[in-house]
Amino acid sequence: MSSQAKPSPKETLLNAAVLHWMHDLAAQGIITTDSELNVVEWNNWMEEHTGKRANEVIGNNLLDLFPELTQRRLDRHYKWALEGQVRVLSQALHGYLIAMPAVSSEHGCTQMQQAVRISPLTHEGKVIGTLTIIDDVTERVAREAELQAQLEDRSRLLSNERLARNEAERANRLKDEFLATISHELRNPLNAIMGWAHMMRVGNLTPANVERAVETIYRNAKSQSQLVADLLDVSRIISGKLRLDVRTVDLISIVNAAVDSIRPGAEAKGIRLQTMFDPAAGPISGDADRLQQIVWNLLTNAVKFTPKGGRIQVKVQRVDSHVEVVVTDTGVGISKEFLPYVFDRFRQADASTTRIHGGLGLGLSIVHQLVDLHGGTVSVHSEGEGKGATFTISLPFVGVISNQNEAEAVHPTQSDEVLSFEGLPSLQGLKVLVVDDEADTRELIREVLKECGSEVITSPSVAEALIALEQHKPDVLISDLGMPDEDGYSLIAKVRELPPERGGEIPAAALTAYARAEDRMRVLRSGFQFHLPKPVDSAELVTVVASLAGRAYKA
Amino acid sequence: MKLTERQSDALSELINIAFARTGAALSELTGHRVMLNPPEVAVYRTEELRPALAKFVPGDVASIHQVFSGPVAGDALLLLNYDGAVHLTDLLTDGHSQSPYLDESAREVLTEVGNILLNACLGMFGNLLNVHVTFSVPRLHLETLDELIASTTSDKTEMHYALVVYTAFQIRHSSVKGFLVIVLSVDSLDRLIQEVDVWEAQQGT
Repeated sequence: MSSQAKPSPKETLLNAAVLHWMHDLAAQGIITTDSELNVVEWNNWMEEHTGKRANEVIGNNLLDLFPELTQRRLDRHYKWALEGQVRVLSQALHGYLIAMPAVSSEHGCTQMQQAVRISPLTHEGKVIGTLTIIDDVTERVAREAELQAQLEDRSRLLSNERLARNEAERANRLKDEFLATISHELRNPLNAIMGWAHMMRVGNLTPANVERAVETIYRNAKSQSQLVADLLDVSRIISGKLRLDVRTVDLISIVNAAVDSIRPGAEAKGIRLQTMFDPAAGPISGDADRLQQIVWNLLTNAVKFTPKGGRIQVKVQRVDSHVEVVVTDTGVGISKEFLPYVFDRFRQADASTTRIHGGLGLGLSIVHQLVDLHGGTVSVHSEGEGKGATFTISLPFVGVISNQNEAEAVHPTQSDEVLSFEGLPSLQGLKVLVVDDEADTRELIREVLKECGSEVITSPSVAEALIALEQHKPDVLISDLGMPDEDGYSLIAKVRELPPERGGEIPAAALTAYARAEDRMRVLRSGFQFHLPKPVDSAELVTVVASLAGRAYKA
Repeated sequence: MKLTERQSDALSELINIAFARTGAALSELTGHRVMLNPPEVAVYRTEELRPALAKFVPGDVASIHQVFSGPVAGDALLLLNYDGAVHLTDLLTDGHSQSPYLDESAREVLTEVGNILLNACLGMFGNLLNVHVTFSVPRLHLETLDELIASTTSDKTEMHYALVVYTAFQIRHSSVKGFLVIVLSVDSLDRLIQEVDVWEAQQGT
């Protein structure tokens, strides 16, 4: 440009006109000054965004018009421009040159963000002024911040996902450990049962040993049945199927019953059991069976973890609007690290504890869930390993005492006495048809029922049962549900299709290991009148048969 | 053309003055202490430039390029490798960026930094030679080394030399390597070296 010939006056005029238009149409701020920094040009864009008209600004010194430039030491850039240097002012390092409001506040910026270039204007090698170009970059900055936030979100999501995966892996590992524990725990009593049963079958035991064998088998079967009951409880709690039979109950009676039931075990270990019951504790609202289970779980735990000669204290006390059950022992205690996990499912302090003390690690988790269902809280305190532990259950107090419920409130300890037929109803003259594919179960039931005087016919399958039904005309039908080929549901459906004279209305009970509530519902809907959970309790079986006899089925 | 050891030392010292000024300007701007390592200076013919730089910038180069004209004319460039460019902007703008890319704002910051550095060095040369040079508006380019060298404005028919200044920015315990390349005609370089000799002689007295 500088090497071209000098433009004619007409060309100069034209150039000036073009420049004027270009500046006014520009989507940028354009300011030109002379070499004294007096404003020479102030384009439309500048007018629009600063609210200052060109005629107010032109002729005035830029640094006087905007003292902030000097305060923010941006005047240097003009000095350098006058020395011939081009200067760049980035938004990231300066924000803006001249304060202007943002065009739209939707990006959360009230101040317009600017990128600026300040250049010298030269003529024949001499600086005659400055040119400032201002770009509005607010939107770009907002967009970049958004992108940045997305990137951060994504990396946060990634790390969250990693956490979730770790948690899932941990849960999986816990389940594996639990399965290992459960197999171990279920096999242990089984070993004793099988071993002694085998010796009894071989038949070379002395009468004293037979007694011992029976005792051992019974004890182990009982412990296994407790394990299964725990597992079923957990599964019911997890699936939300556990229903509480809520009444007004007397907590002291319940605690007393639980204490009584563990007393023999405690005494065998020489553990002193101390009870302190506050008479003001009063009634609470809850499910008596479940409350007893809670206390019993805590107490068996205390007995399990308290060494010989230790002490267990059980307190029931009223604290404000709550009734508390406090179980304190002088046992092995709980380490600080394990305390937060005490109530977790499948958790035990470590594998070696499992070996020493046995158990599935479900008891406290069940306690926690059951207390929760009662609207209460359970907490644990321990000074550390070897320093004992205190479990505190807090349940909401109910102000009213109802005498009517008082009697129901007292629940006796579980009747876990050795098989006894005393006091059971007589089944004399009754004919019972027992259907089960497992010979052992058939025989067990036959023995129990025969013992009470009934005649028993057994069938291993549905087909044979239907024949026996017509042949023997039994008074009561007891059938297993899970059988190969045809199951108990199929049997009862076929029976109920028969006319009354061929046994279609025979009273029937189902025998099943499926002890869930929905199984019970299905059993009753299918045509059975009763549901007997396995393992069969002899007394229950006899009572059910007796009550069913003579109660014809009415659909 | 080769620099004597004395010329090289003298040039390094002069550039170091410009670097100190740049460091101070960047420190003030960012609120962090910014230092530029004492420079190492070398002169190459433009044809030798590519192999000389290749090992420092294997991939894309971020360059801030300013053309200067006047009695002494040529191209001035600040070169950073891509990762270095990202890292440098990160350090200068408080480093909360998670982006591995140079967004517009980052490019602008680099342009400003390059501008400050190139102005300081060329301004210093102008003073030394007592000539007035004018600058073009600085531009940032992301390209390969070959594309970059091809884009310098120098007249390809004339022999040109490149003054290469190696340095590193030191910010907040981090270091970002970069170099300054000033491409000059033989004449301009001759003049510069003569003046450097004069300056060096004055320093001695």
